[in-house]
Amino acid sequence: MPAGIAYRVPVLVPAVVLVVLAALALAGWAAVFVARDRAVVLRQLWGGAVVEGLLVVQAVLAGVLSATRGAPPEPWEFWGYVLTQLLVLPLAAAWAFAERTRWSSVVLLVAAVTVAFLEYRLLVLWGPA
Amino acid sequence: MTRAGGAGGATSTATGPGRVLVLVYGIFALAATARAGYQIATQLDEAPLAYALSALAGLVYVLATVALATDRRRLALGAVLVELVGVVAVGVVSLVAPQDFPDETVWSGFGQGYGYVPLVLPVLGLLWLRRSSRAASGR
Repeated sequence: MPAGIAYRVPVLVPAVVLVVLAALALAGWAAVFVARDRAVVLRQLWGGAVVEGLLVVQAVLAGVLSATRGAPPEPWEFWGYVLTQLLVLPLAAAWAFAERTRWSSVVLLVAAVTVAFLEYRLLVLWGPA
Repeated sequence: MTRAGGAGGATSTATGPGRVLVLVYGIFALAATARAGYQIATQLDEAPLAYALSALAGLVYVLATVALATDRRRLALGAVLVELVGVVAVGVVSLVAPQDFPDETVWSGFGQGYGYVPLVLPVLGLLWLRRSSRAASGR
């Protein structure tokens, strides 16, 4: 394992925690809408945009860290996850918004939980084994 | 097929619960094809069978996603059936002969690496295809 790990973790862990909390908050909001039989509203998409913004910041951060402190152990897999993660919310938001039933809220819920899960995988991929 | 469950026709496979199904299929399509592409590009000789199966799984997920999103029932049915056979067959073989699967595929161990979603997904797909086709008279 490269020595860079000792530097990365203190930076990456808070970023991951922040994104996971934001994603789970969005998931919780969507879950309330599912329970109330409501469709996704525009304000929730703004919420999704906030999470997406955090993901972009995190991706930039990961890029800077891997350039200055050494690449993650499995770079292809790592960047694959980063890229996938950036795609999930925008695609799901567009897909959810076209449906005007509670199922659109389920779509948002699944997308937000997926992002939280991918964050966990990202941490495993980069963190110490 | 009428879109959005118009009166008289079957419900489009892309609406209601189908909307969620398409999203989950889409995520798996993305994940499985990306993984297969990466494995085949970087380490094909390590486990050619496992990686070929990853690629097949990816293709099946892409087909299922497109078919369900565009309400192509026969294509969707075919893709979902191949998926069900695939996950069960690979699941059994990966338990009986783990040496043939030195690296993870989406379907190894009945999809345990993915919370068994790969095993549940085709069942939900079949149920949804059946329900949406007779939903016209119901609701």
